[in-house]
Amino acid sequence: MKKTIVLMGPQHPVLIEPVVLDLVLEDELVIDAIPRIGYIHRGLEAMVEKVEYADFGTVAERICGICSFMHGMGYCLAIEELMKVEVPERARFLRVVWAELSRIQSHLLWLGLGADALGFESLFMQCWRIREGVLDLFDRTTGGRLIHSVNRIGGVRRDISDEDLAGIVKTLEGIGAAFSDVARVFLEDPSIRHRLDGLGVLTTEEARTLGTVGPMARASGITDDVRVDGLSPYDRLSFSPLTETAGDCLARCKVRVREVPQSIDLVRQAVALMPKGPGPIDTKVRGFPSGEAYIRLEQPRGEVVYYVKANGTKLLDRFRARTPTFANLPAMISLVKGCQLSDVANIILTIDPCISCTER
Amino acid sequence: MDATAFLERVQALQRDGYRLLMINATAIASTEDVELTWSFEKHGHLEHWREQVPPEQEVPSVSGLYPFAYLYENEVRELFGVKVTGLNVDFKGQLYQTSTKVPFSAKAIRARLDAQKGKKP
Repeated sequence: MKKTIVLMGPQHPVLIEPVVLDLVLEDELVIDAIPRIGYIHRGLEAMVEKVEYADFGTVAERICGICSFMHGMGYCLAIEELMKVEVPERARFLRVVWAELSRIQSHLLWLGLGADALGFESLFMQCWRIREGVLDLFDRTTGGRLIHSVNRIGGVRRDISDEDLAGIVKTLEGIGAAFSDVARVFLEDPSIRHRLDGLGVLTTEEARTLGTVGPMARASGITDDVRVDGLSPYDRLSFSPLTETAGDCLARCKVRVREVPQSIDLVRQAVALMPKGPGPIDTKVRGFPSGEAYIRLEQPRGEVVYYVKANGTKLLDRFRARTPTFANLPAMISLVKGCQLSDVANIILTIDPCISCTER
Repeated sequence: MDATAFLERVQALQRDGYRLLMINATAIASTEDVELTWSFEKHGHLEHWREQVPPEQEVPSVSGLYPFAYLYENEVRELFGVKVTGLNVDFKGQLYQTSTKVPFSAKAIRARLDAQKGKKP
C-alpha cells in the first residue's frame, strides 16, 4: 500500500503542546512516527556560560511554565548539595507545599485539556475553574501564578504565615470537594470510557523496556515515584505511589485523577508537621560551588534529573535537566505506531507531554 | 574504549536490575573532548560511568540493551558531536533543529564566549 507522510504539529487543534511528529501512514494506520525536537529549543542549558550560578535558578524555572517551581527547586537542591548547605526545616516543608500545589494544578490542567480533546467542553471548564483556585494560592503566597521565583539557594524567598497555611489547607478542602464531582465523571462517564478504554496500551514490561516515568509508568503498574526514595521531608509523610494496571489511556487518566486528592493530603500533612513560623526560611550562602551533583525529583509528569557541574567560579561548567517527557518520548512513539490516525492526538495527550521541558 | 567490554559491563548492570537513568555529555573547554556519562539507577542508588571521548573516537550505542537510549544518543551526537555507532533508531542529525551545527561542542562554546567578549569568533 502507498505510504503517506502527514506532518503533525507544531500547531494542532487538540494538542496545546507544540509536538512535532512526521506520521507515516498506510491508509489511516500509523506505521511510523518520527519526532522532531527544536521548534522551541531555547538552549537554556547553554546559558550557564553567561548567567552566574546564583542567578541561574531564574533560568531553570523558565524551562517550563507548569513545572516552574520544581525546576527552580531541583536546581537549588543541586547547588545546595555541592555547597553542603543545610536548608532550614520550615523551608523544606514549604517547598513540599508548593511542589504538591504544582502537581495539583498540573494535573487539573491536563485533565481539562483531556476533556477538551474528547469534546467534553463543560468538563474542561470545570477542571480549569477548580485549577484557578490553586493558581490563586500561588499568586497569594509567591506573587506569581506560573513563574514563582520563590526558591533560592539555601531555602525559599518567602514565608507563609501559619494562619495562611491553615487557610491553604481549608481552601484545598473545598477544591478537593469540588474535584470529587469532576473525578467521578472522569472515572465513570461512558463517553470518556468509550474514547480511552483499551486505547494505547502499554504493558508493564513495555513500560520498563521503554524507560517510562511518572504517571505514565504508574498507569502500567510500575510503582516508581522519586518521592518515596527518601527525599526529605517526603520521608516523614505517609503515602504510597498510586498505580493502575491496565496501561491504557484511561489508566493514565485515572492515575492523575487519583493523585490530585493525594497531593491535597500531602499538603495537609506537610502543614501539620511544619515547624511553627515565622522562619527561619533560608541559610546564607557564600562562595562558589565546586564538584558535581545529581538530583532526582518527582515532577507532575514524572521523574526529572538535574545534573550540575561546577568549577569553583561564578559560572557553572554544565547544567542538564533530563525531563520526564524526554524519558516518555520513546514510549509515545511506540504507542502511536499501529494506531489509527484519529487516535493519535488522544494517545499523545494521555502522556501529558511538555515540549518546553523536552526541548529546554 | 573497548566496545565489546563496555557493552558486556552494561549488560551485567542491566541483569542486576539497573535502569538507564540518562546519558549526559559535557564539553571540556581545554580540549575538543567530550565527557560522556552513563547514569544508572536501582532503588534510588545511582551508578555513573564516565569516558572522556576525543572527537574521532566512536562510542558504541547501548540502545540494543536499553531501547530508549537512542534519544540520548542522538542528542549527544547532534548537540556535542559524539560519534555514536549502532543506534537502533538513527535520526541522522534531524532530531534537533538548531541554527548552529553541534552547538554544545567546546569549539562552539568558545566561539560564543569570544563573541560575548566582543572578539571575532
